[in-house]
Amino acid sequence: MGDRLRRYFQTYTSAAPLATFRMAFGLLVLVSVVRFWAKGWIAELYLKPKFFFSYYGFEWVKPLGSYTYGLFVVCGLCALLLALGWWYRWAAVGLFGSFTYIELMDKSTYLNHYYFVSLAAFLLVLLPAGRFCSLDAYRNPALRRSQVPRWTVDALRLLVGIVYFYAGLAKLNSDWLLHAMPLRIWLPAKNDLWLVGPLFNYPWVAYVFSWFGAFYDLTTPFFLLYRPTRAWAYTAVVVFHGLTAVLFPIGMFPYVMIAVALVFFPAEVHAHVLARVRGWWKQAPTEPAAELPLRYSRRTGRLLLLVLAAFFAVQLLLPFRYLLYPHELFWTEEGYRFSWRVMLMEKMGQVQFKVVDSATGWARLVNNDEHLSVLQEKMMSTQPDMLVQFAHYLRDYYARRGVHAPKVYADAYVSLNGRLGKTFIDPAVDLARVTDDLRPKPWILPFNDEISGF
Amino acid sequence: MKKPVLFALLLLLTAVGVFSCQKTSSGDPPSPNPSLDRKALLTQWADSLVKPGYQRFNDKLDILSAKTAAFTTAPTTASLVEARQAWQAAYLEWQKVELFEFGPAQSVSLRNHFNIYPTDAPGINQNISTGSYNFELATAIPQQGFPALDYLLNGVALNDAAIVQQYVASANHRRYLTDVVAKMSQTFALVYAQWNGSYRDAFINNTGTDASSSLSRAINAYSLYYERYLRAGKVGIPAGVMTGTSRPEKIEAYYLKGSLPLQLATTAHTTVQQFFNGRAGRPSLKSYLDALGAKDSRTGQLLTDILNNQFGVAFQRLNSLGPDLFPTMTARNADAVACYNEMQRAVRLIKVDMTSALGITVTYVDNDGD
Repeated sequence: MGDRLRRYFQTYTSAAPLATFRMAFGLLVLVSVVRFWAKGWIAELYLKPKFFFSYYGFEWVKPLGSYTYGLFVVCGLCALLLALGWWYRWAAVGLFGSFTYIELMDKSTYLNHYYFVSLAAFLLVLLPAGRFCSLDAYRNPALRRSQVPRWTVDALRLLVGIVYFYAGLAKLNSDWLLHAMPLRIWLPAKNDLWLVGPLFNYPWVAYVFSWFGAFYDLTTPFFLLYRPTRAWAYTAVVVFHGLTAVLFPIGMFPYVMIAVALVFFPAEVHAHVLARVRGWWKQAPTEPAAELPLRYSRRTGRLLLLVLAAFFAVQLLLPFRYLLYPHELFWTEEGYRFSWRVMLMEKMGQVQFKVVDSATGWARLVNNDEHLSVLQEKMMSTQPDMLVQFAHYLRDYYARRGVHAPKVYADAYVSLNGRLGKTFIDPAVDLARVTDDLRPKPWILPFNDEISGF
Repeated sequence: MKKPVLFALLLLLTAVGVFSCQKTSSGDPPSPNPSLDRKALLTQWADSLVKPGYQRFNDKLDILSAKTAAFTTAPTTASLVEARQAWQAAYLEWQKVELFEFGPAQSVSLRNHFNIYPTDAPGINQNISTGSYNFELATAIPQQGFPALDYLLNGVALNDAAIVQQYVASANHRRYLTDVVAKMSQTFALVYAQWNGSYRDAFINNTGTDASSSLSRAINAYSLYYERYLRAGKVGIPAGVMTGTSRPEKIEAYYLKGSLPLQLATTAHTTVQQFFNGRAGRPSLKSYLDALGAKDSRTGQLLTDILNNQFGVAFQRLNSLGPDLFPTMTARNADAVACYNEMQRAVRLIKVDMTSALGITVTYVDNDGD
């Protein structure tokens, strides 16, 4: 075993998969940034709101006013440089930094695929993806390396594999498998789709989609790794993500997954395709035949492997942190984010805040939309940590306007996966005095139902 | 081992595809339940609710125009009473169409021109005395529409004889009254013409469930109307729910008082419930939700039954606030607050449970299912 492991870490492979990943990833992030800007979301999500929902421990990350546009310029520029392989390492660091900063500015825009982009960018900071098929190597041929340690490519495969497998695990729950929820709600809403639409009215179709979805997520990384099934599995990737792109408002996610799943194809395929593309580029294929392997010094190699090991240990464990919390995960959402829980809930809520003056008893109800965007209000109304954050904002806001030690109460009502809505948090708890941290929140009222599974 | 499994699944998907082709090409009803046809639902709303509703309102508005013109031409107690009756009739009819604030009505901000109250009496008086005003300005919103007419026909003087005297004496009063009614007719004509023109087809063919779809717009308008303009506007604000002190002067039709304010509110509430239930055997929100199988999965009770019960309870509470809302807001404030609370329960069923069951999206921003 130890021998095999040692041999594995000494195996070399073509750098081509890293290069294609770098190019595809960089271009897709660039498109994402341009699309985000073009839709006017920078202003709507980061300039207009008066309040932003920070992540625990990242309260210092805030939108930068009109400089936020600059942040997106940096992010898009780094993505482009990354795709070109020009100032590769700086581009990767810049992309990881700017993209992550953007995502940390406001929790209400949290998306699993944004999280994936941050993680992949982090890996690219470490991996030698700028040494082959890049402007850096073209401008300075001494940098060029056509062979890399196999584990550098496998790191990307592992990350993508985790995304799929954990997304599949998360679907193994009673709502998804036994009640076909939430697809049973979402599919009939798409019954005007050409050709297949009318099918969505049948509940059994929701069951087929649910079961197939779970099976697909759990198995895709393995089918992509196994040569005889690879072509089929990749076809399924294209069809499946194409379908989700048509059905659900999930933006760039399907295209990102279609592109990054290419990393499972063997290095020779990537090398072959890249060589052919280069053939179109240049008149004569002047590809130097010599294979140049990238050899890390013993120390660098060890350090990199150590960082990667820590990174993946966190990736494997973090999604299970919900086990540390006592109540139903879907209801409390304690430990829900950063766990590849995608498309699992139809959750909707409404919340009415009341601010009371401790001295005079004067009370008033809050119009949430005077402070929050539509998206923020929607996200907040079903997520307890955001309810506290907004309550604290209201406390400070009314204190500034002369209310004595404002008490803040929330009357929240939430429905989850077709269950009739019910009161979400204790309306008698003064949220102004509750701390927002990672400990369980005892003021979330019980769900009174069970969703079993992962 | 693995390839056959995948192959079987692909086969299944293909079979599903073929099955769907057969269904649509053979002309069979494509859905197990025709009530899930959103185009039919939208068509029913357009042709049986919005357009006829607007037509009836248009008739009442024409009568209002004629009667106020008769009054301003020859102000007498008799012509005042007739103008007031026409105003009441049109105001009641308005309650049956105010909830259609989407599409053309939304693009001209119809409600802003028709029913924002309490009206700005000092502003109106100033407009009358200066003789210069622009009804498109934001500050002019509470200086026009039915609430302004309430003041102009019922509140400019202490009794009918004095009101008549005011109009006999002041050309500016006559002109302002004429202009307010003219502005209403002119604004409504834009909306009415669009529904009778191309908008109807655009509406029924936008069958999606995204934030820009007809269903989403209509439902958003519906829930906003019930929450903000019925629950809060007609009951909550005058009862002082937001602030803790009752403000009875903020009721609708404050200058006339009597039975009209409650009548307006109950008409509005009945309209909301009728819009929900539609006519038996015709597509409606109720039939659509029932066809979706929307129910409380804990108890098995139909969502539409739960909602209808709640509408019933809220209506009963509302109806018990009579005969005159004005004194009730102060004297029986607890009853008004109780009514507000029952309406709030209905708001949640509409905004959370119903919207969720319909699968409509409320924002344009990407979302991976929370």
